[in-house]
Amino acid sequence: MMETIAVHDLAKRYGKLWALQGVNASFHAGETVAVIGPNGSGKSTLIKILLGLVRATRGHIDVLGMRAGGDPASRERIGYMAQVARYPEQLRIGDLLDMMRDVRGLSDDQLDDTLVHELGLDIQLDKRMGALSGGTRQKVSAVLAFRTKPQVLVLDEPTAGLDPASSARLIAEVRSARERGCTVLITSHLMDEVGHIADRVAYLSEGQLRFILPPSEILGATGTDRLSQGIATLLRTPVA
Amino acid sequence: MWKVCKYTLIDLARNRFMLVYTLLLLAISWGLFVLEGDAIKGLLALEQVVLALVPLIAVVFTVTYFHNLSDFTELLAVQPLRRRSILLGQLLALGIAMLVALVVGMYLPIAVFAPFDIGGVLMLCAALLTLSFVSIGALIAMKNRDKARAVGFGLAVWAVMVIVYDALLLWAMLAFGDRPIEPFVVPIAALNPIDLARIMVMLKVDLAAMMGYSGAVYKQYLGSVGGIMMATGALMLWVIVPAWWSLRAFDRKDL
Repeated sequence: MMETIAVHDLAKRYGKLWALQGVNASFHAGETVAVIGPNGSGKSTLIKILLGLVRATRGHIDVLGMRAGGDPASRERIGYMAQVARYPEQLRIGDLLDMMRDVRGLSDDQLDDTLVHELGLDIQLDKRMGALSGGTRQKVSAVLAFRTKPQVLVLDEPTAGLDPASSARLIAEVRSARERGCTVLITSHLMDEVGHIADRVAYLSEGQLRFILPPSEILGATGTDRLSQGIATLLRTPVA
Repeated sequence: MWKVCKYTLIDLARNRFMLVYTLLLLAISWGLFVLEGDAIKGLLALEQVVLALVPLIAVVFTVTYFHNLSDFTELLAVQPLRRRSILLGQLLALGIAMLVALVVGMYLPIAVFAPFDIGGVLMLCAALLTLSFVSIGALIAMKNRDKARAVGFGLAVWAVMVIVYDALLLWAMLAFGDRPIEPFVVPIAALNPIDLARIMVMLKVDLAAMMGYSGAVYKQYLGSVGGIMMATGALMLWVIVPAWWSLRAFDRKDL
């Protein structure tokens, strides 16, 4: 499989606190990786460096052969769904979709509007963002992430706040993105959800990458049938 | 930059606060001219509003708007855009929206009631003050992650420039009255955009008596055309320097 994201000796320090310490990893086209770990483990920092929002203290990430955080062109093929969906309150859904199309310099036929219809946003295009529920704003975030047919998708707690039907639709879309060769990174606290969609699970703790393993391997090695239990067991034993 | 500016302007055009600000300016301006019954008196009363209200609204609204927009700005920073283009687009949109409010709310009554030359100076000062406090607001928002702290800092900056500055200056002039302070007068004036605007209008109206002690000293050095041009240049620097500094801060900031 082609390597799409390469993390090299990545470290980030905020004041005296090391949020990340010497993280090395590589992610490939057509795989879904769940990035998990407790609060303050460095998940957000890793993702933010990948997206160019935070500068590394040491090391770097290459995304599709370009240095993350460098040339803005390095973000052309990245889709991002933020955990917190806050938008300019007076913009309508339609304005927001147009804005994101325009800032990326794309035309309508270069976009995939499947999710717009399937999540029911096509009949709400005139609604202002300030009038939407948290769940609907989350749907808008999902649409913005998937619509440009990215090669790398970063989804931060994607199903938080979504109704079960929309969650299922979003997970199906993640699978479909993976099938067309997209690299998907997901952060989630829902271990069962992670177990169903991730090809590998990357566990971060205290700024260090403790392991990256397929869920089946975690379950097999620990003799458990639940991923959360397996991870807990794995953390208690040294990993080769 | 222009695309960010366009959609930020759409958002601002529908913002209820902008409408209220425009109507408030219109009511105050129109009301003062009608109540005073004299164009010059109306302009002088309006000047006090311009010097106090316009910077206050500009700095608080800018700080609040940038903080409310921070998550969305983060999303924009993930798009293939330069960070400077994002902030510059948002700053331009804020500046344009505040200027439109000023044109409708203040320029219109001035054009109707006041002589063009003096009214024109007040319009120029109001525009430059608006833009400079939008720039200062952006800088404060970029440097402070906490919204309440940023708004508090914005209010403190406004209070120092509107209230505290003249008191400190008066104290300094009295305290150092026996020393040659003239070489420091213009640089001291340039440190406060509100005082600069006040000087420009007062010199145009030629009412030195209303300028206070500090104003009387300024008149001696800034009363010429060259002095007015210098004051305008200094006000423009108050627009450019904080804007440039906020762009630089945003460029280097971890979001």
